[in-house]
Amino acid sequence: MIQLLNKEIKLASSPLSFLFLVFACMTFIPQYPILVGAFFVSFGLFHSFQAAREADDIHYSVLLPIAKKDIVTSKYIFSVTLEITAFFLNTVFTILRMTVLKDAAAYQTNVMMFPNPVYLAFVLIIFAEFNYFFIRLFFKTAYYFGKPFVIFAVMAFLTVGIGETLHHIPGLSFLNSTNPADLPVQLIILLCGILIYIIVTILSWKASIKSLETIDL
Amino acid sequence: MEPILSVNGLCKQYPEFELKDVTFEVERGSIMGFIGRNGAGKTTTIKSILNLVHPSAGTIRYFGLDFLEHEKEIKQRIGYAAGTANSYKKKKIKDIVAVTKTFYDNWDEDTYQHYLELFELKENKTPEQLSEGMKVKLNLALSLSHKAEFLILDEPTNGLDPFSRDELLDVFQEVVKSGATILFSTHITSDLDKCASHITYIRRGQIIASLPMQEFIQTYSANTGSDTDTDNIEDIMLRLEKEARHDPITE
Repeated sequence: MIQLLNKEIKLASSPLSFLFLVFACMTFIPQYPILVGAFFVSFGLFHSFQAAREADDIHYSVLLPIAKKDIVTSKYIFSVTLEITAFFLNTVFTILRMTVLKDAAAYQTNVMMFPNPVYLAFVLIIFAEFNYFFIRLFFKTAYYFGKPFVIFAVMAFLTVGIGETLHHIPGLSFLNSTNPADLPVQLIILLCGILIYIIVTILSWKASIKSLETIDL
Repeated sequence: MEPILSVNGLCKQYPEFELKDVTFEVERGSIMGFIGRNGAGKTTTIKSILNLVHPSAGTIRYFGLDFLEHEKEIKQRIGYAAGTANSYKKKKIKDIVAVTKTFYDNWDEDTYQHYLELFELKENKTPEQLSEGMKVKLNLALSLSHKAEFLILDEPTNGLDPFSRDELLDVFQEVVKSGATILFSTHITSDLDKCASHITYIRRGQIIASLPMQEFIQTYSANTGSDTDTDNIEDIMLRLEKEARHDPITE
C-alpha cells in the first residue's frame, strides 16, 4: 500500500489537489458562505482523478503485481488524507475565530454561517458527498468523471444552501450560535457529522472495490 | 513441460462481438505469433488474460497456476507491452521507473541499466517525447528488468517504420534466447516470418488454429508440393480470410 500511495503522489495526483487545501482558509472570510471552501477542497481532489485518467493510471496500476482492490483503497486513502488535512485546518481556523478573533470587528455583523462545530459537521458531510457521489460513481467506469462531478456539485451546493438556511428557521438559531452554552449540542452534531463521514466513506469504498472488480477496462 | 500460458474455453460477449471458446497454449521458450485481422479478438483475448476484461467463461493458467487465484504472484513473473500504451506521458522516465520498480520483488537495477543502454533510452525524457518504437522498448526494458519470464506484447510493431520493426524483432529473438517466452499479437504477419516459432490464428472471435510455425504453414499452405514454393503467413492469412468471406457456415 505504501508503494501505491507513493505512486499516487508522484505519478497520478495533480499539484492542484494540494494547492486547493488553501481554500480551508475560507473559514476566515467574513459574511461569506464559508462552507463553499469544502467544495473547493473537493474540487482540488477532482483534479487528481482527472490527471490520473489522462495519465492512464488505472490501466497502468491494474498491470502491476497488486490486487485491484488496493488500487481503489489507495485512491481513497489519498483523498481521505487530504480531506482530513483540510478538516484539521478548518478546525484550527474555527477555534481561532471562536476565541482569539471572536471580537474582531469584521465578524460582528454576519447573517451567514459562523464557524463553529456545526459548520465543521457540514464540512465533513460535503467531503462524504464527494466520496459517495464522485469517487464511487467514478469507479463505476474508472473513466468517466463528468457526470459524477456534476452530481456531487449539485449535492454540495444543496448542502451549503441547507447549512446557510437552517439557522434562520425559528428554534434552530443555536446551530449558528457562538454562545458557549450551545456548544454541547453543537459538539453532538459534529459527532454525527464525523459518523456520517466515516460510514458513508466506508460504504463508498466498498462499492468502488466491487465496481472495479466487475468492470471491463 | 507445463505450458507457460494455458487458455481454455474463454468466452466474452459484447453487443457486436463475441469471443467464442478461445483455447490455446504457449510453450516455454517460444515466440507465439497471435494473428488475426483488426477486430478479430486479439486485444480482447489479451485483455482477458491480463484480467483487464472479465470473460464470461473459461480458465487462464500461467506457470500451471490459476490466474485469478494467484494474480499478484503471476504478475510478478509476466510483463506487458503494447504499441498504444501511453501511461504517465508527461512524467520523466526516471520518475516512472523509480515508482514502478518498488512493486517488483525481482527488480534488477543492473539489468535495467543494461537495457537503457542497449535501447538508447534517455531517462530524462518523458514517454510523449519517445517514438512509438522507443515506447515499446521502454516497456520491454521495464518487463525484462523485473525478470519477467513471459512477455505479452499487444501489436508492439504497430506504426513502426520497417527498420524499427526489424530492430525490435531482433530484440525479441534476443529476449527469448535469454530464457523468456513471448506472446506477440499482430496483424502485420510479415513480422512473424522472421521470429515466430508458433502461430495462433483468430478469426471473428474464434481460434482457427494454434500450431508450431512449420506445421501451421504445412497445414494451411495452398502450395504443399514444393519446399521452394510454400506460402508465407501473409499468403495463408489472406487466403483464409478470403475463403471465410464466402464460407459463413464455418463461423
